[in-house]
Amino acid sequence: MRTFNPAPARRALVLRMAAAAALLLGYADLARGGITFAPLAIVLGYAVLVPAVILTWR
Amino acid sequence: MAMTVRTAARARPDAPSYRVAAAVGAGVLCLYVATLAPTTAMWDASEYITAAYTLGIPHPPGNPLFVLLGRVASLVPVASVAVRINMLAAMCSAAAAGIWFLVAERVLASWSSPRWTRLLAAVMAALLSASTFTVWNQSVVNEKVYTVSLAFFAIVSWLTVRWCDDPDGRASDRLLVLIAYLIGLGYSNHPAGFLVGPAVAVAVLVRRPRTLLRWRLLLAGAMALVIGITPFAVEPIRAAWHPVLNEGEPTGCAQRIGLSCTFSKTTATRLMANVNRDQYGKPDLTVRQAPFDAQVGMWWLYFKWQWLRDVHGQQPGLQTGLAIAFLMLGALGGVTHWRRERASFWFFGPLVITVTVVLIYYMNFKYGASQSPELNGVAREVRDRDYFYLWSYSTWSVWAALGLATLWRALAGRVHGSEARRWASTAPVLLLGALPLVGNWRDASRAGETATREWAHDLLGSIEPYGILVTLGDNDTFPLWYAQEVEGVRRDVTVAVTSLLNTDWYPRGLSHRLPVAYDAARGSAIYRGLPAVMPSRPVLSLADVELDAIPEWLDVRTPQLFRAGTMRAVVDPRRLEFGVPTRGDLMVLQLLKDNLGTRPFYIARTSGSYVQALGLEPYALMQGLAYKIVPEVIASSRDTVALPGVGHVDVRRTRALWDSFGAPRAFVARGDWVDRPSIGIPALYISTAFQLAEVMLGRGDTAAAEHFRHAALDMGEATHALDLFLPRASQDAPPPAGDTTRTRTVPVRP
Repeated sequence: MRTFNPAPARRALVLRMAAAAALLLGYADLARGGITFAPLAIVLGYAVLVPAVILTWR
Repeated sequence: MAMTVRTAARARPDAPSYRVAAAVGAGVLCLYVATLAPTTAMWDASEYITAAYTLGIPHPPGNPLFVLLGRVASLVPVASVAVRINMLAAMCSAAAAGIWFLVAERVLASWSSPRWTRLLAAVMAALLSASTFTVWNQSVVNEKVYTVSLAFFAIVSWLTVRWCDDPDGRASDRLLVLIAYLIGLGYSNHPAGFLVGPAVAVAVLVRRPRTLLRWRLLLAGAMALVIGITPFAVEPIRAAWHPVLNEGEPTGCAQRIGLSCTFSKTTATRLMANVNRDQYGKPDLTVRQAPFDAQVGMWWLYFKWQWLRDVHGQQPGLQTGLAIAFLMLGALGGVTHWRRERASFWFFGPLVITVTVVLIYYMNFKYGASQSPELNGVAREVRDRDYFYLWSYSTWSVWAALGLATLWRALAGRVHGSEARRWASTAPVLLLGALPLVGNWRDASRAGETATREWAHDLLGSIEPYGILVTLGDNDTFPLWYAQEVEGVRRDVTVAVTSLLNTDWYPRGLSHRLPVAYDAARGSAIYRGLPAVMPSRPVLSLADVELDAIPEWLDVRTPQLFRAGTMRAVVDPRRLEFGVPTRGDLMVLQLLKDNLGTRPFYIARTSGSYVQALGLEPYALMQGLAYKIVPEVIASSRDTVALPGVGHVDVRRTRALWDSFGAPRAFVARGDWVDRPSIGIPALYISTAFQLAEVMLGRGDTAAAEHFRHAALDMGEATHALDLFLPRASQDAPPPAGDTTRTRTVPVRP
């Protein structure tokens, strides 16, 4: 019988939310004129979290 | 004698040696750190360091991903800002080297045994790629965004090789979507990011053509690609804050950011103009800027540089011999790749062709700055463009290493003894791959290179407080931006570069910029006695609508009288670069009119005969590295001496400035000047020293004259620039700096 393991699904969901949050907050700070948090968050989103989301896509 | 051979059909390749790859990357990084530039460099290095530090927008297409990465790198609290961003280039190239190791190991895995031989040959692929001249030289200073692109190429290459190996399934689908995303993300670093696309397409078509029938996967890939491009959104958002570097000004927001002006047609138009690089107005590909064989010749010239740079042409035979050897090794490696490991060949082969033949055709360059010097009158690039072929030489190196491995295997097959002994006794053939490491070290290294930073300080130091400095192109402008915005030096000086004054956005930026206070405590002692009242308005008096109304050029070809206060200057369009006054020339005259007598006004001496073309010679007084333009005709005196071909020299000021200059010592300490197209910068110093020597000789001060003559000769010998000067030593004006961006920024050439 096939069993459902919720852990990977939860991990994937968390990653998606984290990627979306990093990019949204980063762009929001950029729009406010921020040049410290904004690039950190945007780079984290594009370089780490989005690839992680793709690799864990279910 | 039978060698142990495993084919892809007989055994799955060994697991990738990620730890060894990491060690190889770390080793390459150590090489780059040992030869890293301690500060900025000529050409675009200063522009990109400044753009990253200020989160500004460099020249089109704006490279938003690089700017973001550079800004993050600049926040790392170690070393100087320039070193932090230079390290970004070094780390990207080192990562690429580590990945080329993996690719080479994967290719070798199917036909080369034992394992240690594969590892050794793969290490050689990484080392060879990392030590080719252009890759190395571009990895030790962040001059461009191409090392970031190189890292993307390498990552996509590895993922595609893995995709070719993996069985159909979710994992391989994810890899393909990730590849699409990375191609898009690479495009937001530089349009070259798409160059890897055709190779991926060929691999998919050949390896798994049925993939193209899976519309859901294709849709996911397309969406990933689009998401990868979205960093371009950074440009209009950031541009609306009008950072110091706001090239192309891709925003419709004139004052402050807002929803309506950001989501406006003006923003969309300007952003697309930036992305598409409209500013450069390159001709259609069917209109060749040089014969195609000459363009291939340019690639070959730079290919020869990769294995032994030989800057001064002392070993042309050896250089050509090595180039032929590595060309043949690369071809041998390519053939072996095709024969032994077809799966990855279907990706890597098209990649090599794309970044070589297709790129040569697409870039459509004029003759190279150093190419065929015997040809007079041909249109040339302002500098050597070897960096555009960095990916070509990097990937060719991987094949050259495969060629070496093939050669090694053939030699080992001819030796008697145990297998281990056969491989070991013939292993020295791999040392061929270490030749570029030895041969390029001196010229690729940028360790201890501080001349560009010193030049920026010296030129800014030549300007009185709150002065306006008109410059001509890259090398007399970008280093000043770096000094002002990154190091905080002389931010009171307004730099106005003629090439960008031809655009619509740059004058607008100047007209909005408020004066910055002069920091007397950090300023030169030379200016301590001068009145320095902070101006209350920007340098241009015209409103945006008036600036926008200035035409791109005037169809005026006869001398015209220019008047400002008591000044009467005869502008001779025939002596201007385009034979007619361009928008940039008109802007310079407007700046002069708005500020003459109220703010010190200078034209950099890198501008060649620009002062004469504007008819300003009677009003131009040489002070250090710039001409000060004064309201009245200059009369000679003991401290204001007229020199033929130079004009009036402010002797006291220039001598005092000379004593404060840092670049002369930097030239001598470095002991060479690798980049000939920018030789105008050291030549300007040499010229200045000769001129001071002549003035001192005229005064009968032979000791001082000898001092300056020696200084000129020392710099000339160190930078190999004496051939420009000795026959005409102290008589002529310095040669132009050879660094203009004008040709690429005038939208329509009259």
